Amino acid sequence: MQQFVSVLLNSLLSAGLYATMAYGLAVIYGVMRIINLAHAGVMMLGAYVTFALFTRFALDPFIGLVIVGPLFFLFGVILYQVFGRRMAGSGNAPSIESLLLLFGVWLVLQNTAYIIWTGDTQSILTSYTMKSMKIAGVRLGLPSIFVFLASVASLVFLNVLLTRTYLGKAIRAVTQNRDAARLSGVNARRISGIAFGLGTAFAGVAGAMLSVLMAFTPDFGRSFLLKSFCIIVLGGMESVTGVAAGALVLALLENGLATYTSVPTSLQDAVSFAMLFIALVALPRGLPGLLARFERKAATR
Amino acid sequence: MKILRALLWVAPGVFVLAAPVFLDRGALNDLWSLALAVTLASAWNILGGFAGQVSLGYSAFIGIGAYTTALLSLRGVNPFLTLPLAAALAAIFSVIIGLPAFRLRGPYFTIATIGVGEAVRVCAATVSFTGGSSGLRMPAGSFDFNHNYFSMVGLAIVTVAVAAWVKRSVLGRALSAIRQDIDAAEALGVNSTVFKLAAHALSAAIVAIAGSLYAINFQYIAPSSVFDFQLSLSIVLMPIIGGVGSVAGPILGALIVSTLQIKLLTLPALRDSFLFIYGGLLILVMMFEPKGLVGIGRRAWVFVTTFRSRRSVADAG
Repeated sequence: MQQFVSVLLNSLLSAGLYATMAYGLAVIYGVMRIINLAHAGVMMLGAYVTFALFTRFALDPFIGLVIVGPLFFLFGVILYQVFGRRMAGSGNAPSIESLLLLFGVWLVLQNTAYIIWTGDTQSILTSYTMKSMKIAGVRLGLPSIFVFLASVASLVFLNVLLTRTYLGKAIRAVTQNRDAARLSGVNARRISGIAFGLGTAFAGVAGAMLSVLMAFTPDFGRSFLLKSFCIIVLGGMESVTGVAAGALVLALLENGLATYTSVPTSLQDAVSFAMLFIALVALPRGLPGLLARFERKAATR
Repeated sequence: MKILRALLWVAPGVFVLAAPVFLDRGALNDLWSLALAVTLASAWNILGGFAGQVSLGYSAFIGIGAYTTALLSLRGVNPFLTLPLAAALAAIFSVIIGLPAFRLRGPYFTIATIGVGEAVRVCAATVSFTGGSSGLRMPAGSFDFNHNYFSMVGLAIVTVAVAAWVKRSVLGRALSAIRQDIDAAEALGVNSTVFKLAAHALSAAIVAIAGSLYAINFQYIAPSSVFDFQLSLSIVLMPIIGGVGSVAGPILGALIVSTLQIKLLTLPALRDSFLFIYGGLLILVMMFEPKGLVGIGRRAWVFVTTFRSRRSVADAG
């Protein structure tokens, strides 16, 4: 029982972070129908910017988020301005060209980091890095609790933005039907730019939070990119709740496997990559699609 | 004109085959790397270029080839006799992966292949019979550079010939139809899955043989060398820079990328960051000429010919 509660709590904590990093990918996919491979590079950059703020100005990583968020929003908008011509969402299918272009951006970001920070492993050690507290009889690391709270805060912010503001409604409108949104007077190009900025900001914030939890190199981010893909594929690509559900499923799977089976931890990444493959092939519309199928079945019966 | 064209194809082949007579060992090593690059790029192009199915998981096939050869050689089999088995295993694996993955289209296929490549690498580093992350060393005494050189160059020439043949064959036309519009191709009776699987298996088999020859020549393999993501990446980069979908494009791309690699790796400052240049090249190609060098060449050719005909019209009038 104790073990079960522990798995549940740990999964919930990682799911918060997973949802934040996956949502950055989902919002860009939704609005522009492109798969942002540069996401991994942005997460890595988020970690290093937080690291720089921490070492240069002794800024706490969580206070640093206030700077990292807007900074990366701006960075995303600039990326869109530079590369948007080639990324412009034409039709409904994402193009291979935009994928490869963003792949190039990822490589450039990664190797800029190699030049600036070298390939050495870095980590952020705060006063609370090693501290932990007991919740429901389970010992949980203080940093992961903070990360969870920050993730929830950013997801709530996002949900309010998407449901309560004109901008959010415009983003959802473009996601649902780009042409219809344009016909009703939404400037789809501008919304795309803002959505790209928003997605980049979420990637930066996710990277900043990852930097608190683990050591990192310029090469880090790839496995998290694949996890994000896995989550948005599970979550059905475009809804906030779907993404959260996908994140929880992946986190439960990882934690459950580590606790209840003897699968070595080094194989854990392979599990999520295999999961990505299976989800892509078997659940093309994600968990919501599966639910809808069940509902339809129940209704016809 | 036709003779000139044929000469353009035959001359480099003759040159690399005759090279051991007049070049030193260092230059031959570079030529070996170039032949490997041409093989990988041309083989990838059969699926990625002709059929437009961009896969980022090709290091899996290199790894399968390299490990098949290394594991069998350690049990006393002649390394060169393991090549057919390596090719067969990779082809079978490509079908196992392809059957589900080819239901996905465009970028979704690409992402699934990243997942497959990474999963295979992680598995190879964990399972014990592959020697884990510390890798395998080929048995001593199995090294003969002359054999290695001619087999690699031979493979490169055969691969280019196969690619040229595929492009003209029924398979090539079906793949081209799939690339242009998969729904239209299906409607015309092209069984897209079968043709994609065939192209995947063919290119996987070639890449696996290249992986075997890699193991034979370097004598040491590890998950971080033969299953590396950067390897998958440079395999994709070469045809893209040269021009996807043509026979000459991957060769040009391989020439550029392997020259860059040989030159850049000797500069200590750039050893960690040569991918920076790959990324920059990728961005430039995608922004300005998605058809690569071949596309630029074609544009220049069209420009020159229209210029000439325009002038002859002006002269006549």
